[in-house]
Parts: sequence; C-alpha cells; structure tokens
Amino acid sequence: MNITHYDACPECDLLLNPNTASVGEKAHCPRCGLLLSRPRKRSVERTFALSIAGFILFFPANLLPMVGITMMGNANTGVLYSGVVALFNNGMVAVATVVFLASILFPLVHIILSLLISGHLYFNYPNRYLAHWMRWMHHLDEWVMLEVYMLSIIVACVKLMSLAKLEFGWGLYAFIALIVVTTLLTGNLDNNLFWQRIHQLSNRDNNAS
Amino acid sequence: MQAKANALSQGFIRCHDCGYLVKTVNQPSSCPRCDSHLHARHPHSLQRTTALLLSSFLLYIPANIFPIMIVNQFGAGEPSTIAGGIVELIDAGMIPIGLLVLVASILVPSSKLIGISLLLLCAHFRWQVNARRWTTMYRVIAFVGRWSMLDIFMISILVDLVNFNGVHIIAGPAATAFAAVVILTMFAAENFDPRLLWDNQQNL
Repeated sequence: MNITHYDACPECDLLLNPNTASVGEKAHCPRCGLLLSRPRKRSVERTFALSIAGFILFFPANLLPMVGITMMGNANTGVLYSGVVALFNNGMVAVATVVFLASILFPLVHIILSLLISGHLYFNYPNRYLAHWMRWMHHLDEWVMLEVYMLSIIVACVKLMSLAKLEFGWGLYAFIALIVVTTLLTGNLDNNLFWQRIHQLSNRDNNAS
Repeated sequence: MQAKANALSQGFIRCHDCGYLVKTVNQPSSCPRCDSHLHARHPHSLQRTTALLLSSFLLYIPANIFPIMIVNQFGAGEPSTIAGGIVELIDAGMIPIGLLVLVASILVPSSKLIGISLLLLCAHFRWQVNARRWTTMYRVIAFVGRWSMLDIFMISILVDLVNFNGVHIIAGPAATAFAAVVILTMFAAENFDPRLLWDNQQNL
C-alpha cells in the first residue's frame, strides 16, 4: 500500500524518479545539487571489515600514551582520556563531559553500531533492532569528532614545540589509523542500500513467522 | 515526470530518518520501514532554531570576553582569551596555525551565527531568493560547525600535558560558554529545515 515509485530530495523536497546510479556514479539532485547517493562496491562487506578494524584500533588509540612532554626536567604523558580527567579535576565538568562524549563515547558507540548492523546484514541475520540501530547511528554521525581532535593535537603540539620536548607514542599512531578507518567507513557505508537490506530482512522475517 | 514538483504538494512525505517516501493519503503517523515519527517538515523548525540561536548569541559574549585558558607560571596566572591566544600564536611566528585557529574559533562561529540568522529571516519573511545558493550556504554552515570544537579539544590536551610544579595550564570560564555556543549552533543548524526555503519560492 505504501510502495511508491518516486524518491524525494531531503533538502529541497523535489519529487524525483528513484535513483538508478550504479557503482562508481554519483546522483545529484537536479534542483538543489545535493549529493543524493553514491553507491559503493561491496558496501556491506567493506563496512563490516572496516568496523572490525575500527573496533580493534579503538583500544590502543585510547589506552596507549599519545604524546610525551619533557619540560624543565619534568616528564608527563598524555592519553586520550587523560584530557577529560584533567578538565574534570579542574572543575570544568561540562566541558569534560563534552570532550568525553565527542572523542571517546560517541566514536565507540558509532563503531559498535556499524559493526552490529553490517554484521547482521553480512550474515543475513534479521534482528528487530536493526532499524533502531541504524537511526541512532544516523543521529550520532555528526557528533563523532575524531578528525577535529586530531587537528587540535597538531595545534597543541605546535604551540608546545618551542617550549618543551615532545615525543609521540603508539597511541597517536593507533589514533591516526582509527581516523583513517572511520573515514573510509563513512565513505563506504551506503545508507540507501543499508535501509533496503534492513527492510528486506525484516520482511523476510515477518513472512517466515 | 512532473517538472519541479514538491513531494509534499504531490502527497508524499519523506521519512526524516531512513529516506523512505510515504504516501500521505492514509495519514500514517510513523514510517513503515523504520518506525520513526513522520513529519513533512521538521516540527517547529523556525521556533526551535530561533531559540537555540538566541541562546548561542547570548553565550557568545562571555565566550569572547572571559579568559578561555589560564597559564600559571610560578604562582603568577596569565589569562588569555580566544582572540589573545591567536595574537600570541601569530606574534610567535606560527602564522599558519594562528590562521587555522582564527578560522576555527572566530570566523566559523561568528559567520555561523550570522548565517543561521539570515536563513531564519529568509524562511520567515518568505524572501524571494536563489534558493539553490541559500541551500548551499545552509550546507556549508551545517558542515563546518563541528570544527569549532578544535579550541575546546586543544585546551583539554594542554591542560593535561602542561601540568608541572612550576607551570600549569587551567581552563577558564569562557571554555564552558564557547563549548555551549558550538553545541547550540550545531543543534540550531540541525533543526533548521532547508526545505522551508524552497516552499516559499513562488517562481520555481
């Protein structure tokens, strides 16, 4: 009853024919120019693989020291979460919470959600929470700020370079790898395809039961 | 197909979460595919955006006049504001980094506040504009917002690293206000519905 043969642009509401872009092509809205879809080759498989890689990389990136600093004979090392702890001890609870969410919790939840979703799709295993997970992931997208954090590490290091001696630890390299993986992940995740697959899986599940 | 037809005027609603196009004839209240609540435009888009925008305008004042970071050197505290930090960087000869921080923590937030105000005025007063250009402006505003968190993350790194007996850095009161500005403007951009710009155009 609700099956339609049209599509609509999310930003200008232009009624469109369903997009038929094939792998490697890009579909833009003819009226407002929004990128509507960019299908990727083997989107589910790649997303699954990259989510596993991201999940594994998350732990060294968070637990190993990132930057070591030596200043006037004193040494100190920084880990991803120690900035949050330092702000918290400073009494800046609100700022500490924001930093914790944007640089630790949301990236972790995002990776776990994409791991769950792509895993279920990869093994064609229906789950009634798939649509919920997909919606949460969609809402979290904007609040995962790893690449912003990377840029602020660079700025902070440049600021400190003239005053102190800096050393880079394995945590930083893992963090850079994590950013590369999450960027590839968002690039390879084909929203339209994922929603179609989720819909098919839940329909099949309903018919079977 | 029908040229330049709004989906809504043809009786369709696009699900905000999953992009499924639903016929409005039988008045479904939730999306048949993802079960999220259906609405043709973001509910109370202009009111919510205005409220969030006004709060961020107010918070933008303390964010700029109070110190964002205080460098304690042997007992003497040296506070610096957002603008002061940039001047320091440029004075020290670190011009590219200074410009980067200038863009991320002054140009982006202020142009975002002005840009969202213009979008609101345009949608509210039904200005006849080049809607494609204004939608592009909206897209840019929505994209750059998160990069303003640069300063906040940088402070958390500096507070953590520079923590010695002689010298330590603490965050100032402006940090909370600035973080709030960034988050509120991100929410404001998220709540603004660019389709309202297109609904108002008579001569498409």
